[in-house]
Amino acid sequence: MSKIFYDHLLELDKVEKSIKKVSSTKEEAIELWGIVDEIIHHRVFGCVLEQLPEKHHREFLEMFHSAPGDEKLLNYLKEKIKNDITIIIKEIVAALVLEIIDNFEIKISRSKKKSSGKNYSVH
Amino acid sequence: MPKYPAKTYEDIERKKLDFDSLRTHLKLKQFEVKKNFKERFPKAHSFLKEKGIEFDKVRSHSAKVLSAGALSGSLLLSPVKEIKPLPMAHELVDRLSIVGGKFPIGGIQELLVNNLKEILPERARALSQNEEKLLEQVFEQVMGIKSKANLEGEHLNTTYGYIGAEQHLRRYPGDILSNHGEGDVLKEGIAPGLGAWGYFASNKDALSSSLEDKEKWYAVVQTLYLPEWESRQPYLRNWYKYRKVIIVNTNNGNAVVAAIADSGPAAWTGKHFGGSPEVMEYLGGERYKKGPVIVFFVDDPENKVPLGPVEYNKLSLPEAGIEIT
Repeated sequence: MSKIFYDHLLELDKVEKSIKKVSSTKEEAIELWGIVDEIIHHRVFGCVLEQLPEKHHREFLEMFHSAPGDEKLLNYLKEKIKNDITIIIKEIVAALVLEIIDNFEIKISRSKKKSSGKNYSVH
Repeated sequence: MPKYPAKTYEDIERKKLDFDSLRTHLKLKQFEVKKNFKERFPKAHSFLKEKGIEFDKVRSHSAKVLSAGALSGSLLLSPVKEIKPLPMAHELVDRLSIVGGKFPIGGIQELLVNNLKEILPERARALSQNEEKLLEQVFEQVMGIKSKANLEGEHLNTTYGYIGAEQHLRRYPGDILSNHGEGDVLKEGIAPGLGAWGYFASNKDALSSSLEDKEKWYAVVQTLYLPEWESRQPYLRNWYKYRKVIIVNTNNGNAVVAAIADSGPAAWTGKHFGGSPEVMEYLGGERYKKGPVIVFFVDDPENKVPLGPVEYNKLSLPEAGIEIT
């Protein structure tokens, strides 16, 4: 099992579907999964560290290093952060889906409309 | 307007274009978030780098930590309330033995589910060696199938996790959904891409009934996150190809023997395994999309265990491997 302590908060079905749709081989899908994974970690950690007082950063990172999948890390964050960190993470992820997939799909459908428009124009 | 078969290359080209566009789009985002994180949290960035757990390596680091914990049996990562005292193996075996009488058909399955509840933690996690050994005994006793969490030194990153519904796989070039049966099993559709091991056969004529069964009853496991997946190639790739596994739905006791034919799902989906439409339908019914399961390798050197449902609940007791004392 490869688990990160906030995995259960991630709602990424839409991303999964888009990747499945465009990948012709498993290698292609795995490459995109990896990029998405890295983007999520950067974003979630950025938001966690922003909320967590700096004096706890080192301690939190040490704990993460020894057990990245331990859900007790969330309890630790809940103790040290005023706002509800689970809600914050969920919101960050929802915004990320919007950025990486919704915007992409809009872009793609626009370019398809544009190119199909060209095909049907008669001079 | 109907599409001419000769123009399917247009679909392939469009798909390639979509892949390249999404890849570029994601790469740009990846570059942006990396840069942003490094600038905002330089100390955290240096710490992670120093420890060798930058975010592109964090999944394999997690897998290593978890498998080390499971091997030592210490389960340091589990909340204390999730560690239950395990029942003794002989207690479970005793419960499965009936004194001179008949065990009601269906009752065996209920007994299995109750035993699983006693052994398993509340939430899916990597199991300890002791937990796995106990389950191996229970499965052999109840279903008559010898299964192993660790077979020939190979072990999945987790044997207890969530399974998700997968689509049919293309078995040979030109394969289409309607060739995969009829009714509910077609509802999931056919995957746009190939499985991790490519086509099952080079053409329709080369598709044997054995290969047909492998696609029908296929399982997906996260080989991509195995800590040694890259360094032990091509051995691991060959070892896992069509490897038989037994999948047991821990909520209702339904069990299926399946062949591993694809790699995935992505860790961030919250799922750890996948099952073909037929596998999922047998495990939980036509609306079953996700649920907790145990996945063990089938120890079957002589290839005697058939793929498909394990209908231990429909067999008479001696056939089901239950000892009547």
